[in-house]
Amino acid sequence: MSLRWSLLAAALCLFVLTGCVAPAAVEPPAAAAALSGNLVIYSGRSEPLIQPVIEAFKARQPEVKVLLKAGSNSQLANALLEERNNPQADLFITTELFTIQALARQGAFQAYRPAGAERLPAEFVPPDNLWVGLTRRARVIMYNTDRVSAADAPKSLLELTDPKWRGQIAAAGSTNGSLQAQVASMRQLLGEPATEAWLRGMLDNKVTFFGSHTDVRKAVGAGEFAIGLVNHYYYHLQRAEGSKVGVVFPDQGEGQMGLLTNATAVGVVNRAPNLAAARAFVDFLISAEGQKLFAELNYEYPLLPGVALRPEVQPLTAVRLAQVDMIQATAAFDATFALLEKVALP
Amino acid sequence: MRWPLRWPAISPRLALAAGLVAGFAAIPLFYIALRAAAADPEVWRRLLQARIGYLLGNTLGLAVAVTSGALALGVSMAWLTERTDLPGRGVFRWLLALPLAIPAYIGGIVHLALLRPRGGVIPQLLAELAGRPVAAPSPLGFWGAAFILTLFSYPYVYLLSGAAFRSLHASLEESARTLGRSPWRTLWEVTLPALRPGLTAGALLVALDVLAEYGTVALLRYETFSSAIFVQLAGRYDRSAAAVLSGVLVALAVAILWAELRAQGRARFTQMESGWRPAPPLALGRWRAAGFAVAAAAVFASLLVPVAVLLAWSVAAVTDPAMLAAVVRTGSQGFGGFVWNSLWSSGLAALLAVTLSLPVGLLAARAPGRLARFISRTCQVGYAIPGVVIALSLVLLVNRFLPFLYATPLVVVVAYVLRYMPQATRASESALSQLAPSLEEAARTLGRTALQTLLQVTLPLILPGLLAGGALVFLTSLKELPATLLLRPAGFDTLAVRVWIWAEDGFYMQAAPAALLLVLLSVAPLAFLLRREQGRR
Repeated sequence: MSLRWSLLAAALCLFVLTGCVAPAAVEPPAAAAALSGNLVIYSGRSEPLIQPVIEAFKARQPEVKVLLKAGSNSQLANALLEERNNPQADLFITTELFTIQALARQGAFQAYRPAGAERLPAEFVPPDNLWVGLTRRARVIMYNTDRVSAADAPKSLLELTDPKWRGQIAAAGSTNGSLQAQVASMRQLLGEPATEAWLRGMLDNKVTFFGSHTDVRKAVGAGEFAIGLVNHYYYHLQRAEGSKVGVVFPDQGEGQMGLLTNATAVGVVNRAPNLAAARAFVDFLISAEGQKLFAELNYEYPLLPGVALRPEVQPLTAVRLAQVDMIQATAAFDATFALLEKVALP
Repeated sequence: MRWPLRWPAISPRLALAAGLVAGFAAIPLFYIALRAAAADPEVWRRLLQARIGYLLGNTLGLAVAVTSGALALGVSMAWLTERTDLPGRGVFRWLLALPLAIPAYIGGIVHLALLRPRGGVIPQLLAELAGRPVAAPSPLGFWGAAFILTLFSYPYVYLLSGAAFRSLHASLEESARTLGRSPWRTLWEVTLPALRPGLTAGALLVALDVLAEYGTVALLRYETFSSAIFVQLAGRYDRSAAAVLSGVLVALAVAILWAELRAQGRARFTQMESGWRPAPPLALGRWRAAGFAVAAAAVFASLLVPVAVLLAWSVAAVTDPAMLAAVVRTGSQGFGGFVWNSLWSSGLAALLAVTLSLPVGLLAARAPGRLARFISRTCQVGYAIPGVVIALSLVLLVNRFLPFLYATPLVVVVAYVLRYMPQATRASESALSQLAPSLEEAARTLGRTALQTLLQVTLPLILPGLLAGGALVFLTSLKELPATLLLRPAGFDTLAVRVWIWAEDGFYMQAAPAALLLVLLSVAPLAFLLRREQGRR
């Protein structure tokens, strides 16, 4: 008996010793001339969608230790705002532009114009250089071809409230940045009452809201749901797993709002502890190599001209895109949250 | 120098130390109450209109369902293994308690993958056999959440009622039988009422667990206060709504805790004096097979299925090179990094919780009275404060007042201590109350100072009890999810966080090795506790 106790006691002591030592490892070491130290990235892109890029960066900069905290855009944005006097992160990557724009206005970022920024489309490099766009993605409707024929698939987001799809639709819930951005865009294009009616229609139609789009795509791929509201690459990821799924780029008809798109973006945090590594990482993200990773691994639309799309990805050139005023939508982001809360979207 | 013959009745230093601990334990409670009260009335109005009624119904409904389910399952299993000639009851006694090592969200992940409508393994198998989709029970929603949470929380009731069954005086039931009661009526009219304090304690533990549960309900898409607060924290810029919901949830939990503490107070009367002997096991006769089948089914669903599935997934993940690379190199560190993080953060939390519980236990055991009782109960509030609420209060407090601690793993450890200190406090109080004060008095008479007495006499004697408390804190901290998710600094992943990040994105196989390891690591402290518990018979 006593042997067991003393072993346990010894184990406890060991934990304490390590406990006292381990926090020290979190302190950023003094900045060195060469790139080294910890690079802390807050990412609204979920971990599997950013990890390969980090791995590629680490292969180039083996001395930099990348520490990733992935979460929802708004959770991490909250953290950045709370940490303004005590900055922890070097970089913030979002899955849509409204959050990063809102944070930029609140002084969360420092200006940085990365090498090669001039080659990106101007709309994704703001004049104040507080953030820079990375990739573009489209909001699409994916469907299970066993359950829905291409002809029957809804051609507009507004058709998702049609009672004939009752209980057959999956979507991401209100914490998801892409969905938040979609609602913000719809508020601007259709107005608040129409957007609220659409959200209530979705709820009345027994849409199932998941925590993440991966759940949505898998559920549609398995036929658990007929239709999923996702970003376009989730359709490709599911198709790559061998599922029978189809895709609609919605709202292309006369008088309809056009395809909703948004962009992922990155900003260098104000008073970033490891500025040199942060800048190098941003440079890497918009370099041909970084852009190619996003396009190849995740079927996204790279912003850097000349980087090839995956062959199965439909180019956006032939598609009518919705015209959203970013500044206005950002200003109305609070109203978007209030709306999501008002309709009690899960 | 003259000193009182009893342990220095209320040594001011001891009372101060215990008071400080209680103050520390109550910080989140008061902070949340303040924030909730200070929230804009408009936020209250909006939430009362749209959310609070709905969440209250959902949360209470689930708590009632799970508590009843856990009571029914836990008591019947304890009765079968302790009081009947159930075949293999020596083995069942262990197997039925082991699901405590499996966090409910991991159990939920497994059952969801198996049973999910259309997408799950079983519905797909059935559809293939039948050639068309067949309706199978869904693990989603209210009934699914109730089923999963019952499966993984009944061991609380099982262990507490098992202990009560064992300590029950055989003569009590014998008198009832002699007075003409049938065995069945004896069970209902004598045995169960005598077990009531233990059962109430177990039931209320389960109920508090349901209130605090985040992972399982989020996974099974059933909204309760905890998951709604998490959504508020993760998805909104305004923290006052989260504070308001937290205030309501904590009020609910405090009410339940208050009821539990009353039940605990009454439990003391069940202590048996001398002359205890075990009751003869009831012969199940032709019901033996049925009893065996029921116990086997409980073990199957709550232990064998999760472990077997995790094992199969782990093998699949480890043998697939791409998946193995993902598992080993995920996050910011390798696999070893988050195992280590889990171990040291939970270990440190256990040590701190036990240390902090000492003055409280000493005060309660050596100077019982109003003050000691108040302090001891204040130290129990951690039970009533779900992980998300602790996280919310720590984020706001630490960032404002202790910025150098912010975004260090130590904040995570503090959250564990705040949340699970009640377990250590109870263990310390019970260990100290069983120690005769005369031993300490003898040491003092022989010239030892108070501190020397504590270190040389008291601590060595109560060490087993303290270790039990520490093991419990370690076990529960290891499984903790919501506070860790919200408080962890970048790059600080624990096993629980890893499992959750993979599983939330639907990558079950990648999640399996970490989940399996988490279960295995939990088995060690649990086995220590079970051996101790069962050694008491």
